Parts: sequence; structure tokens; C-alpha cells
Amino acid sequence: MLRFIARRLALALITLLLLSAIVFAISNVLPQDVGRSILGPFAPQESVDALNHKLGTDRPRLEQYIDLLKGIVTFDFGDSYQSGQPVGDLIKTTLQNSAKLAILALLITVPLGIFAGTMAALRRDTVIDRVIVMLGLAGSSLPEFVTSTFLVVILGLQLDLLPTLANWPPGANIFTQIHYLLMPALALVLVYFGYIARMARAGMIVAMESDYTRTAMMKGLSRGRVIRRHVLRNALLPTIAVVATSTGYLFGGLLAVELIFNINGLGRLLVTAAKAKDLPVLQAGVLVIGIIYMFATLIADILISWLNPRIRLGSEN
Amino acid sequence: MTDYRKLDPARRDAQPLQLDLIEAYARGRLTRRDFVRRGTVLGLSLTTLASVVAACGGGSSGTGSAETGVGGNTGSGANIKQGGTLRIASIAPANPLDPVAMIDLASYAIVAQSYEFLTYSLGDLRLTPGLAESWEPNSDGSEWTFKIRQGVMWQDGKPLTTDDIIQTFERMVAAGNSGLKGVIESGAVTAPDEKTVVFTLTGPNGNLPYLVSSDNPQTVITPAAFAAGSLVDQSPNGTGPWKMTSYDIKTGASFVRNDGWWGGKTKLDKVEWTFFQDLQPQVVAVQSGQQDAIVQFSVLGGEGLLNNPDINVIRLKSAAHKQIWMRVDKGQFTDKSVRQALAYSLDREAMVASLFKGNADIGNDSPFAPVYPYTDTSVPQRTRDVEKAKSLLAGKQITSTLHAVKLQEVPDLAVLIKNNAAEAGFNLNVSVEDTSTFYGKSWCPTEPADPPCSGADELGIVDYGHRGVPDVYLNASLSPGGAWNSAQYNSTQYADLFKNFQAAVGVDAQTAAAGEIEKLLLEDSPTLFPYFFNYLSAHSKKFAGIGVTAIGHMFLGKAGQV
Repeated sequence: MLRFIARRLALALITLLLLSAIVFAISNVLPQDVGRSILGPFAPQESVDALNHKLGTDRPRLEQYIDLLKGIVTFDFGDSYQSGQPVGDLIKTTLQNSAKLAILALLITVPLGIFAGTMAALRRDTVIDRVIVMLGLAGSSLPEFVTSTFLVVILGLQLDLLPTLANWPPGANIFTQIHYLLMPALALVLVYFGYIARMARAGMIVAMESDYTRTAMMKGLSRGRVIRRHVLRNALLPTIAVVATSTGYLFGGLLAVELIFNINGLGRLLVTAAKAKDLPVLQAGVLVIGIIYMFATLIADILISWLNPRIRLGSEN
Repeated sequence: MTDYRKLDPARRDAQPLQLDLIEAYARGRLTRRDFVRRGTVLGLSLTTLASVVAACGGGSSGTGSAETGVGGNTGSGANIKQGGTLRIASIAPANPLDPVAMIDLASYAIVAQSYEFLTYSLGDLRLTPGLAESWEPNSDGSEWTFKIRQGVMWQDGKPLTTDDIIQTFERMVAAGNSGLKGVIESGAVTAPDEKTVVFTLTGPNGNLPYLVSSDNPQTVITPAAFAAGSLVDQSPNGTGPWKMTSYDIKTGASFVRNDGWWGGKTKLDKVEWTFFQDLQPQVVAVQSGQQDAIVQFSVLGGEGLLNNPDINVIRLKSAAHKQIWMRVDKGQFTDKSVRQALAYSLDREAMVASLFKGNADIGNDSPFAPVYPYTDTSVPQRTRDVEKAKSLLAGKQITSTLHAVKLQEVPDLAVLIKNNAAEAGFNLNVSVEDTSTFYGKSWCPTEPADPPCSGADELGIVDYGHRGVPDVYLNASLSPGGAWNSAQYNSTQYADLFKNFQAAVGVDAQTAAAGEIEKLLLEDSPTLFPYFFNYLSAHSKKFAGIGVTAIGHMFLGKAGQV
């Protein structure tokens, strides 16, 4: 197992290096006048040139890339071109906000989705199955900004049940923060419930129809015990993979939700950085999301290999 | 009926320009509103304004209260309670808070919470005192004397001095401030004594008090030692009613009362600003009561506020507009007939109705908006005439790209223009561009630099914010060599008329000069001005005394809960 984890970590480091090169290349493909972006269209060209020199954006690309690599190693990405704040502070603050939302959404969605998927599989082709599948499909087909707007209008404006913004008062305790985050989390639950429920249902059906399940039943084990001990651990493998790939997205890809609920999250930070050509923030933010993706898939791989040793052994062989 | 016995004391004490104004009002050539507005510009005291209005049979009301610009203009001060916090929704500032270089409305609003102006231009364009208690021009308006308020302290405990004011304007000159460029030069501001500053202008200018007011947002008075490029949030200071306690360009800002403010104790204890990236969440937040006020919103997207009985909507007539420029020096619009044809194809009334639901004034293809008192309304309004447009085109096929910035209603306006123009025979392709592409490439590329904007595309739409006087529009976008002259309009006749307008300081002279410019621009049509839209702001009816200007300011010195 340790060898398996070490190999996965080594692969993650190589992926990170590749990612840094891609991020650097893409951010440098953008129209490249950082000074003009910061000072605005009316600033004299001399001021723009002076600022570009001060920021170092007029240096050779290779030098700039080496600085980025140093930043990855030392976790020091310099200061934001736009606000002048340390990039690390910006990433930390926005990552915390995104993490709170992502974790709350996952804590609601994953158990709910697995439970609903399991129920649908166990009652296949019944009304319950059809309702769960239809609800999941409907939710998954709606973009986040639609579910968010729907919830704001219904729960926020019409029923006045939840705050329409996720901006809690300074010093708010964890319960108050959850209260403010509940509506954006529910918007994500509506979208992701369907994915997870469908994956769990499909995995359960395959596992229920497999030979080992039939053998276990024929041995005389109770249905509940067969499901708990044999079916679930195999049925959940695809669901774990889906949750892992969704995690990175939940941390950094929720621009619409962050805009609608005014969350100072990683997605919003990245978009504003891209618009302002704030390269240090853009590069650091994308790398952080990449690292989250890698860790999420690493954890998923470990979980999957623990649940199904054949995968681990196959990889080691 | 004018009572000259009552009028005489005011006439006796008046400077020549002030006398000209009083005479114009006494002879019925100005409305009371315009008289008060112009009187404040020329430094007539409120007492004088009231006595002239009374002498001319207009009663003494309506001349404004003794409020300062940092007060408010909605609700009654008598009903306002002490205490509480006001939560304001605002779009996030675009750049760090550099008061000299700032270019966006959100920055203007935040900086003006702590830093103050010499004068304040209120929503109705009336000027009120700020750090200057009074002001008056010399006989031809080439020199203006401002009496500085005494006893004003900076938040760091130092007193406000005339040197602070002189150095502030030196920074403006060095930075090429768009409102003051060509009006003052280095060394133009002097202090004959510690209570007075004198502006010696490059030529006569009847609008200087506006150019040093909140209308020119970068002219907030900063300490003498303030270095250009410094950020106000890094070492908060100011003479204004609010002390900044926190600021984050991404999330918001907090202010508490400045107990040392010369204007007295503010009603509110705190002001909390929350920054947003989009309009819609701001509107929803005010609707749901999570925010108390929104600095600015548009009709499209702000419908939820316009008809809400719990919300007080402030509508200000403004000079904010969109310009449609056409290159006059090369390309397909060099022929004046083609430019006129496009102008005649536009359905301005439909634009105002569909884009603003009526919350805008129709433009007449010059920057003289109806809100300006000297706009010559006798110049005939250009209206849609598709047949005339077709005859002006005379069968020519004009296929071009209309460049539009992705901002506010501009993309929708571009589609309306395309459809209107198609009926006259134009084939316009709309190119909606993000702000950096549009400003950097289409509207006014930095290269070639001489003349400015000579790399602009041949046709496009650009946005201009409100100004209390049209000098910036007339100078930057239409003058030969103007900094934002995308049309490359280069008319010596226009340049002479603009000089006349700047030098005109009497009301009649300004209206006459404006009329000449309006007629010339209708004829030449280098740039079209289809409408001037109202500035919209809103707040909960639980609050009053909130002062708003069409350039994005929200003054809260007298604001509070009712």
C-alpha cells in the first residue's frame, strides 16, 4: 500500500510540474499589457511602461517561469498586481470560503445521493426508483445559476427563510456561517445530487447482479448483510471517483454561485484575476485548484484500492 | 414683478459676472432653478440668492438649505435618529484606491467618505460649500478666489492648510487631470494668506468651481505630503465624516464616525460597504433587506427596486451618455452625408423606451444634455427620418463593424443601432468586446500616440460618465488632438467655438456659444449622442439623508435611520 501511495505521489508531482508549465503558457498567451490593465486606458504610456518594469512583466518569459517554480516550492507567489496584497493571503482567504461551501455541499450531497441511489437500485423499476432518477436528471440538467436564482427567489425573497447573500457578520460562529452558506450549498446539492445518486444506483445494480452477491445470498446470508458487506463496498467505487473529480470543481469552478451569493471564493478570484491580467494570482490559483484535484483523486485512489485490493495489486504488478 | 429697491443691495455688492447673472434672472431670461444653480457656481451666498429670488417675486424658498455637500438630500433631518449602521451594496473598485489615478465610480465613492472637496456638486448641479466656505471670480472669470474653511483637522490630528490644497492641485496638473487640463498649469494655485487660495487660470473659465468639486472626483483634498501613487487605505486619513477601519478590494470596507469632523456628529455610528461583481445580487440583497442601500443600478436588472414600496429610488437627471463615433479622416464615414445618414436612421425615442423605460433624455448629437442650464433648446431636435437617411446615402453600400464595449446597455444599444441602420441601407456587424480589448484596441489604442486615438476603429460606441459641465466631453472627445477623440474630428471652426464657450461666463453668452456648437455638431456629425440617461440609486425607506451624485458618490454625513 505504501509503495502504491508513493508512486501516486510521485506521479502527482510530475503532473504539478506539467500543470505549472501549462498554466504559465496559457497565462502568457493572453494579451500581455499588465501595466495598461492596472492603470486603465487613460494612463500615459510612460507610466504603463514604468509599471511593467516594476512588476517585472517586461522580463524574458523563462525568468518569469523560473520565478513561478520558485513560488511553488516556497509557497511565495509574490504580490497581486491588482491589489498589492500577498497572493498567498488572497488564496488563503478565498480558499477558506470556497472550502466551507464545498464541504457543506459535499456533506449534504454525498450521503443523500448514495442513500437515494441505493434506494433506487434496491427498488428498481418502482415509483421510488423513477422519482429519484427523474429528480436527479432534472437537477443535473439545470445550470448552477438557475438553481441559485430559483432558491434566492423562493427561499430568500418569497419565504424569507434564508439569507440571500453568503456574507455573514464578522466574528460569526460556525452555526451562523452554516446558516448563511445553506442556500448556496442547496443550489449545489440540487445539481450534484443527481450525479451521485445515478452513479450509486448504477454501481449498486451491477454489484447486485454480480456472481459474488449471488454466492453470498446462496450461502444464506441476510439481504442486509450482503448489501453492507459485499455490495456497497464494490458499488461505491464509481461514486467515489465522481465525488473526487467533483471536489476540485467545487473548490474552484463555482463562479456563478459565488457571484449570485457574493462569496469571495476561489472561482471569483480567478475570473477577476484573468480579467485584470493579475498573473501571480491567476497562476497560483490555478495551481492550487490543480493540487486540490490531485489530492482528491489521490484520496479516491487510496479509498478505491482499499475497498478493492485487486486495483492496488494490479497497479503494483 | 421685480422689486428693484430690494434687488439693489445685491446688485451693489456683486462682482461683474454675478451682476450679469442677477440681471439675467431679473429680466426673466433664467428660471429660478437655473438662477440658483448658476448663482452657486459664481459664489453668490445663500442669503444673496434668497434676497434676489424674493426681490424678483419668486419667494424665498427653494434656494437650498445651509447643508453642505457632505450631507444628504433625501428625507427630513428632523426625523433622523442617532445611531445605527448603514449597509451599502456597491460594485467592487476596479483598481487600488489611488485618489489621483482612480477612474471608476466605486473608488470615487469610497475615497470621498474620508476625503473632501473644495465644493460639492449635488444631484441638481447646485454647488454647495465643502472645504471652501465661499468663492468668487474676478471680473472676467480668469481668477477665482476660495476662502478656506477654518478649524478643519486631518484624522491624524494636523490642521488643514492652504499648502494641502496647493499641493493637491499640483498633483492634479502633474497627472494631467482631464477636467483641469488646459485650465490651470503648475503654480496656478497660490495662497495670499492662510485662509485663502487663488486659482489663476490660463484663460477665463466660468465653470471652475465645478472643476474643483465632487464632479471632478480626483480633486479630493489630500495632505500636502501625500505622494502621487499612494493608496488611501494603506494609511487612512482625511478631513471627512468617516474614518476607514478596514478595506479589502474584493469584499468591502468599514467606516466609523470621525469625531473630529468639522460638520458635527454624524447620525450613523458605522457604515459598512459590501462589494459585488454583479448588479443582480446587489438588487436582491436590498430587496431582501440584507443591504440597506445600493449605490447605483440600471433599469435593466433593477426592476425589482423600481416598484418596491419599501425602497426609496433616487433618480438624477445626468449627462451620462454613450457616444457613437465615426472616423472622419479615413474609411467609409469620411463623407459627411454618410454620417448624417446614420444619425437620421436612429430611433432615439425607441432607445430611451426600451433600454431605460423612459429614464433618460433624448440627445441631439452634441454633449449639451438637457440637464445643463446653458443648453440651447432652440436648436431643432434631430428625429428619425429613414427616407432622408436613404437619400443621403444615395445608394452607397456601407458595410462596417460596430465595436461595442460589453458594459451596461451598450450591447443592446449596438443591436438597436444595427437594426435601425439596416432600414436605411447600412450593413453593420456588431462586435461586442470586453473592456480591455475595446478600450485598448478599438476605441483609443495607445499607438499611434500622435494624434491620440488615431488607431481607433472607424465605428464604435463608448461610454461617458456624468459631469456637471460638458468641458471634458467637448475637449477630450471632440477637440483637435483631444485625448479621447476616436472620431479624429479636426475642425478649426469647432476649436474656435469651444474656446468661445470656455471663455463665456455670462449665462446668455454660454447659451449662445453652446447653440453654435450644437448646430455645428449636428451638421458635421462626427459623433452621435442618442441619449443621456438618469442615474439611479436606491435605499431602504428606513434611512434618510443620503446624498447621491450622478458620478457615483454617496454622501452620508447627515444620513441616518428614521
